[in-house]
Amino acid sequence: MIILGSNSEVAQAFVEECLAKGEKFQTIYLLSSNPETTEKFAGHIQVKFFQHSEIIPLDLMNDIDYKTLENINSDVLFCATGYLGLGTEEGLYDDENTERIIDVNYAKLVPVLNFFAKRMESKRSGTMIVLSSVAGERGRQSNFIYGSAKAALTAYLSGLRNYLFDKKVHVLTVKPGFMDTKMTEGLPLNPALTAGPKKAAEGIYKAFKNKKDVAYVLPIWAIVMFIIRNIPEFIFKKLKL
Amino acid sequence: MKPNFIQKVTNWGNFPVVEKEMKSEDSVSKIKQFVKDHNEVIARGNGRCYGDASLGEHIFSTKRLNKFISFDRLNGVIECEAGVLLSEVLDISVPQGYFLYVTPGTKYISVGGAIASDVHGKNHHAEGCFSEYVIEFKLIDENSEVLICSREENADKFWATIGGMGLTGIILSAKFKLKNIESAYIKQESIKAENLDEVFRLFDESEDWTYNVAWIDCFQKGKNLGRSILMRGEHALKAELPVNLQKKTLKLKEKPKPKIPFYFPGFVLNSLSIKIFNFLYYNKQTKKQLNNFIDYETFFYPLDVINDWNKIYGKSGFIQYQMVIPKENGKEGMRQILDTIAKSGNGSFLAVLKLFGKNNPQAYNSFPVEGYTLALDFKVNKGLRKLVDQLDTIVENFGGRIYLTKDSMSRSSLTNYLQNVDSSKFVSLQHKRIINNG
Repeated sequence: MIILGSNSEVAQAFVEECLAKGEKFQTIYLLSSNPETTEKFAGHIQVKFFQHSEIIPLDLMNDIDYKTLENINSDVLFCATGYLGLGTEEGLYDDENTERIIDVNYAKLVPVLNFFAKRMESKRSGTMIVLSSVAGERGRQSNFIYGSAKAALTAYLSGLRNYLFDKKVHVLTVKPGFMDTKMTEGLPLNPALTAGPKKAAEGIYKAFKNKKDVAYVLPIWAIVMFIIRNIPEFIFKKLKL
Repeated sequence: MKPNFIQKVTNWGNFPVVEKEMKSEDSVSKIKQFVKDHNEVIARGNGRCYGDASLGEHIFSTKRLNKFISFDRLNGVIECEAGVLLSEVLDISVPQGYFLYVTPGTKYISVGGAIASDVHGKNHHAEGCFSEYVIEFKLIDENSEVLICSREENADKFWATIGGMGLTGIILSAKFKLKNIESAYIKQESIKAENLDEVFRLFDESEDWTYNVAWIDCFQKGKNLGRSILMRGEHALKAELPVNLQKKTLKLKEKPKPKIPFYFPGFVLNSLSIKIFNFLYYNKQTKKQLNNFIDYETFFYPLDVINDWNKIYGKSGFIQYQMVIPKENGKEGMRQILDTIAKSGNGSFLAVLKLFGKNNPQAYNSFPVEGYTLALDFKVNKGLRKLVDQLDTIVENFGGRIYLTKDSMSRSSLTNYLQNVDSSKFVSLQHKRIINNG
């Protein structure tokens, strides 16, 4: 299994969920922008599940050294990289913030995903599970830079799924909604709409096994987003969302 | 949206509830910064202590310190971060033939909490407290430095932290020993006792058993005072097990867990319902003595089977009152305590009696001293403070003390055995309450 964004709590919970469910992997490749922190997780799964893993440095904000990725060989890829950045109020006119959001969530990420897609395509097997966001379904005034980058990612994944379909490679787009993680700690999230990493991992694992194309972590989000998508623009523009 | 870390926090008893800052980090440098930036910090594990011990102005939650570090399967030595729960340790150790040397009545406490409370179990008379098996731990002290503490290195901090209720710093990780087991089952004998005299006699007779505990029906008066069921147990050897359990001796089947979905309305738990429960519980076992094999979860953690059982007590919450009375006064002390409870009508759903063995004098902040210990749950209501006060007086008269991990109401003279406090950095609401009272 290949993990992009190995310090994400959802990614780690997903790895644990797979191993707890009895999935076997020869090696788990932990790609991480902070290998030091990832080391803790590598030790953890070794102790808990006898799972061998390899840590590979990968920072989307730097030039990617594709040589370090050459020997990676796996049928499952899980991508949880992402960068929330500052919202509209604090960050809209901060170019560095804007670029970083677009780079990490889309521009610099897509070539890496393409790299692995190509390998799966040539092997004619594999699953790519990628976390996008409900924020990508409609631009809202509070964080539409992040939303637009995720919208681009969602569109990319939809196209990739279409392209890889007859090449026997499956693409699963996950739209998590609110998550109770480090990224959102201290934010006033509605508990009914918020999933912890473990709950999210269980949902994603099910969607993976059932070969779903698009999955929300909590079913309620499908309803919430259906409503948000269908509000006419002339009303939507007046809302404070 | 700017993060706001102020939130409602409460421990297992749902009493008291406070609105304070709570934050969680997993990187050591960030934790160091948190300690540097704040005065009055207290660490909190899984919030399974009952009272106000892990509540404070700035709470550091160890929930993200949840990784295993190493497991030496040859020698049974495990190292993990402080927020790892005992249940998670058991999940990986039992199938490998290892069990915790000491466990409290729930497995959902964190390793850091087990050290800060120096928890005890049904085997204190035989195997002492959790600390006996701790090899070393890492602690962030008031200067934001990471110290390795063991019996040899930083020994003063080591002993001050054990049972120290988080007042010496934040425990980051710990290394401790596990005990060998041949099976995940316990050979159990449960014996009915008519009254206090009989159960005390049974405790004396059972001294050679590793695990001893008695459930007491605290509504009984007069000659039935102290009516109880004593349960004693040993880890079952493979050869002893009945044939149907011998196939998978170290693996238990997963059982469905019922969940209490909401806070019960206040009237559900009253003296009548508790009386009925106690009657049924005592009479469930028809024979005087029952010998059987049960899995370790049923033996050690009967209440963990129900998720969120604390909601049974309603929104006003409950307290657990646990005291120890030195052995020489034990019997008379227990008699007066049970008598006072029976007269008050404030029955306890759960009353557990245990015998503590000799304490480790080095672990000077630990709660257990040689004697009898009784743990009782009481729903918070108007009359409770008066009852606690009456019980405190009895405990004080007999030279006893109260378990800090469960305390939220008792008088300071019974809880001030804690001696390690020389810094103002780490402070809990409990600590302030005890000091202000005194």
